[in-house]
Amino acid sequence: MSGIVDRRGQRDRHSPPTVVARCVGDHGVRELLAGLEEEGVPVRLADPADASADAGGATCGDGASATAVELAHAAARASTLDVGVGIDSEGRVCVHHAKRPADRPVVTTDAARARWCGHNAARLVIGLPLKEPPEQMEETWPHH
Amino acid sequence: MTLLVGVDIGNSTTEACLAELGPDGPRYLGGALAPTSGVKGTAENVPGVVKVVQEALSAVGRAPHELATVLVNEATPVISGLAMETITETVITESTMIGHNPDTPAGAGLGTGTTVAFGELDECGPGERVICVVGAGVDFEDAAAGIAAARDRGVEVTGAVVHADDANLVVNRLPQPIPVVDEVTLIEKVPLGMPAAVEVAEPGRTVRTLSNSYGIATLFDLDPDQTRLVAPVARALVGNRSAVVVRTPSGDIADRRIPAGTLTLIGEHARLSVGIDAGAEEIMATLRRVTPLADATGEPGTHVGGMLATVRDAMAETLSDTADEPDVRIQDVLAVDTFVPQHVTGALAGEFALENAVALAAMVRTSRAPMEALAEQLRSALGVDVVVGGVEADMAVLGALTTPGTERPLAVLDLGGGSTDAALATGDGEVRSVHLAGAGDLVTKLIDSELGLDNREVAEDIKKNPLAKAESFFHVRMEDGTARFFDEPLPAEAFARVVVLGEEGMRPVPTRHSLEKVRQVRRSAKHKVFVVNALRALERVAPGGNLREIGFVVVLGGSALDFEIPDMIAEAVAGAGIVCGTGNVRGREGPRNAVATGLVDAHAGRAL
Repeated sequence: MSGIVDRRGQRDRHSPPTVVARCVGDHGVRELLAGLEEEGVPVRLADPADASADAGGATCGDGASATAVELAHAAARASTLDVGVGIDSEGRVCVHHAKRPADRPVVTTDAARARWCGHNAARLVIGLPLKEPPEQMEETWPHH
Repeated sequence: MTLLVGVDIGNSTTEACLAELGPDGPRYLGGALAPTSGVKGTAENVPGVVKVVQEALSAVGRAPHELATVLVNEATPVISGLAMETITETVITESTMIGHNPDTPAGAGLGTGTTVAFGELDECGPGERVICVVGAGVDFEDAAAGIAAARDRGVEVTGAVVHADDANLVVNRLPQPIPVVDEVTLIEKVPLGMPAAVEVAEPGRTVRTLSNSYGIATLFDLDPDQTRLVAPVARALVGNRSAVVVRTPSGDIADRRIPAGTLTLIGEHARLSVGIDAGAEEIMATLRRVTPLADATGEPGTHVGGMLATVRDAMAETLSDTADEPDVRIQDVLAVDTFVPQHVTGALAGEFALENAVALAAMVRTSRAPMEALAEQLRSALGVDVVVGGVEADMAVLGALTTPGTERPLAVLDLGGGSTDAALATGDGEVRSVHLAGAGDLVTKLIDSELGLDNREVAEDIKKNPLAKAESFFHVRMEDGTARFFDEPLPAEAFARVVVLGEEGMRPVPTRHSLEKVRQVRRSAKHKVFVVNALRALERVAPGGNLREIGFVVVLGGSALDFEIPDMIAEAVAGAGIVCGTGNVRGREGPRNAVATGLVDAHAGRAL
């Protein structure tokens, strides 16, 4: 579990617009946030345990066992920018948009590409085409 | 009553027209279309012909044994070839430049100093002005901490060049922002210990100092000769938001220049030479002076020599199946000014510069295609009488005349893939025809190279379809400004990209160019080829070269189905008081099936 949990955003619905990140695993969080920062898009870390509450009663189960796609979709629904990112306990990373169907995320990959996910989450907000996947990272990349 | 079918074997499609011949003339029953199998005019065409004939028959519920005659046209014995060559080249000899546009450079302003590797920053003394070069594998926090520490010691780190996409991450962690250019892929090639400048413009602006030759001259204290050498560097950096110039000892990168060369046009009465670097307009003007063209040659060892050799080789290869001894004489050329994005020699992040180029399409007259051999094979494949007859141009005119609202004198403009053909039928039945180099394939090539796509299929898509931009996951904005919504979310690859909406759905265009730019390239390519050729062709067939003597122009061929080419041509000839429009063969086939219909028509005329 990430040590940094920022609850202010949930209390204050009038907070500045941000991308929301729900991360169960620690792996890749720093890289994910770096990707968003490089593109200049603000991000807020939300408590993954609240995933089901923010998703409007969607059946996500409890936060720790939720998949990256569920976390990301719940985060997207909680974001005023409609963009959310999730990292699950397995190290899977997902970028989602609130207006897309829950089971059809924008990008799903593993923690090794967390940085790339951060860039792409930011690009959904600023309206730039998604970044090319970094070539050195094949799907065979170790998950842990 | 006899059932007959006219078959037109084209370069890319084979078309059929089925008709029943009665005492009152032909009654048209229907048509069919299939891709041509093999090279036009060879025995390989048989499967394609069999397919269209069967399709045409089954569409109206007739059996193959009812068929009396198959009519095949005399294929036009011309083929075309294309070549393209740049006539300018940007070579960086005096300086190394990094002028690419990373999406997110950071900081703003101009930094100058000596290039120092990040690992050697510790060895710099206070007061030294340096540009820090951060190689691959350095974390952004370490990079920021290292640069901040050096600045604390009094080292003037005025700018940085970074391998990873880290510029903002580094700058955000510095107490004082400095200009940082990132995503420099070949960072190991940045020369160290050399004077350098890093410039990043404010968002929405472009670099001012490094895109100005005198700006670079001021920074590096250059004399007039040296300034002349860096001028191409400045030119290549125009329009970028960020740039890096490193001054290296001269002679690091060798200059390479191939002379563009001269093209010699040999007419039946005259022979004239023209330099390729004079541009397309001059080449075409020279061609007009020597018309009719008998052959064309290029100066050996030059760009144009290479281009014509490419064309000839390609043609000789095509002809080797059909002719005994390929006799490749160029009957027409179309020169088109274009530009090609080329890798800049001496650049370090895969930068491109737009180089001027000339594209040449050439048309070669071949010996007559062995139609009799093809007819014999068709006879045995279909089991019916096969008649070869009718010159393609004459047949096209006859077919075009079935378009409602036309009469002689009528000119046909056949916009194909390889050539633009025109034929004029005057009131007394005489037909004059001309075959010109350059058509749809050249348009595709121009789009492909000008946008730097390197993908023929995508270029073909762009040519044929209107553009749109995916503005969200659910809607696109068409190029005319209208919006279109979708029920299904668009694929993530399409997001914020320029897309083409083709028959097979939406396809993202792999380019960073804006929609306006892609549209402008598409339209100018069509204009440079089809409008120029339409006017050239009509002038050649018109009596006395006077377009006003032509009453009706009917546009035919695959490219007549294009969504904007017929309009462009109609606009271009509107001044001559001509009725010009896309054909509608038999009042229902559109610009297709003219030759096949003409074959039936001609046969019926003979039979009556």
